[in-house]
Amino acid sequence: MASTPRGTNVNLAVNLGGLAMKNPVTVASGTFAAGREYSDFVDVAALGAVTTKGVSLNGWEGNASPRIAETPSGMLNSIGLQNPGVKHLVEHDLAWLRDIGATTIVNVSGHSFDEYVQVLEELEKTDLVDAYEINISCPNVDAGGMTIGTDPASVREVIGMCRKVTGKPMIVKLTPNVTDITAIAEAAVDAGADAVSLINTLLGMAIDAYRRKPQLARAVGGLSGPAVKPVALRMVWEVHNAVNVPLLGMGGISNGIDAVEFMLAGATAVAVGTANFTNPTATVDVINGIIEYCEQCGVRDVNELIGALE
Amino acid sequence: MSQLVNETARIVSNDAVGPRLHLMVLESPLIAQHILPGQFVHMRLPDFESHILRRPFSVYARNASAGTLEILYQEVGTVTRLMPSLENAAVEMIGPVGNTWATDCSHALLVGGGVGAAPLFMLAETLKAAGIPFDVVLGAQTQSALVARERYAGLLGCEPCCATDDGSYGRAGFCTSLVEERLAEGCLADNAPYDYLAVCGPEPLMKIVSKMGADAGVRTQVSMEKRMACGIGACLSCVVDTVNGKRRSCVDGPIFEAEEVVW
Repeated sequence: MASTPRGTNVNLAVNLGGLAMKNPVTVASGTFAAGREYSDFVDVAALGAVTTKGVSLNGWEGNASPRIAETPSGMLNSIGLQNPGVKHLVEHDLAWLRDIGATTIVNVSGHSFDEYVQVLEELEKTDLVDAYEINISCPNVDAGGMTIGTDPASVREVIGMCRKVTGKPMIVKLTPNVTDITAIAEAAVDAGADAVSLINTLLGMAIDAYRRKPQLARAVGGLSGPAVKPVALRMVWEVHNAVNVPLLGMGGISNGIDAVEFMLAGATAVAVGTANFTNPTATVDVINGIIEYCEQCGVRDVNELIGALE
Repeated sequence: MSQLVNETARIVSNDAVGPRLHLMVLESPLIAQHILPGQFVHMRLPDFESHILRRPFSVYARNASAGTLEILYQEVGTVTRLMPSLENAAVEMIGPVGNTWATDCSHALLVGGGVGAAPLFMLAETLKAAGIPFDVVLGAQTQSALVARERYAGLLGCEPCCATDDGSYGRAGFCTSLVEERLAEGCLADNAPYDYLAVCGPEPLMKIVSKMGADAGVRTQVSMEKRMACGIGACLSCVVDTVNGKRRSCVDGPIFEAEEVVW
């Protein structure tokens, strides 16, 4: 039986830069595919939104194996944005998400500025997307990804190009692997971002001492899970104080209290990522945890929590 | 994909059965009822909170009426070294995950290296129930590590063909020479040539036996295991290189046609 959020009188609906969400919980791109794999466990349509795995114009094969390593209270991944391309996503996954009544955020990736635009143009031909998340922060690809997202001038340019092809809500996903994340967030907002999501994974490494080799085939990968939560909270709080667009907060969220902490730091909505691997009902458990917190603390509307840190 | 469940399972017993080898029996009625040969469970262990990832375990045997599963595991990493301490605990298991061994054959040869003997046992039971003749080759480092031998002997009504690296039981050396002989001589029951080879064990063993199967023109399947995160096909962590691109070992496998695997 797929798990579904329990009933409540608390208002859970939020607006993320023009995207209406029935509750503030989505998933971190890449941890949930397009939702179908999790549909035995959770009512995918009951989530605030489903954020799909990063998609490029044509298929990408991704990186060599091993692609993951467990680390203390976390994990490293180096998947490398393996995906079958935007046409496949539209035909197989976005149509399914529409059919089940889900709210859909499509995570858009590219090797070049032009590729981001081309992916958006393909998606704009459909009416299957509710919002975009522009991924300028993947640490696991050589071109595009994080190389764009660490330089304010590149961010301004690529997000400006994307803004010209879509009027839909556009969320820009930031990398934490920078000296000052607020400068990157400001560049994204200047270029037309409706919202900002953070954090993508922290660049890290794990080594097998006995074999004297890196644990990942690509040597380095992105750290996620509870281990990164304090870093993510700090960055959400910093960006909340720096820009005036809504934030989608993520990084180690495993339960409702984690989610509330991100909202207090300034997030309008949150994404559950690595926790899906540990617990396939984590998304619904987080929604129920938020409800429980609100009921316990007399919060009638989750919007009261946003940036309410004292 | 069949319906997956995340079942809370009580550990009934958890005993050492050989060097670094343990047999865990779990009460897991839903999965026990539905699991098929070759499928696995994705286990979340209690009390190891800094270890956030589940671990996949093949199922050695099940008793559908008693609602129990048996898992044969070897201590190889931090989590499996902690597992023997679990008693009377409850674990969460996602299952039954993955595809199944083929059974549309007339004469089968099953080759299990080390704990690779475990995921083949339910296949052996299925072949026996269907009246399909099959033989079994098992390899291990030493006699005390041949922990599945007696159970296979009970099913077969005779000893499986065994090899140990140190020569303490059966043929001395790797079990590959036994596979070569069996393929040359044919099925022990009637000398008919095998038309199916099912292999599970260390990758080098599976690679060698796959080549033998290909050379003999016998359909060969292998059970692949890669580091896994979600275990249900979403995260693309556990991919296997195949002639058809990178495929997920959790749900596109764990059973692959050997001729499709790029070793």
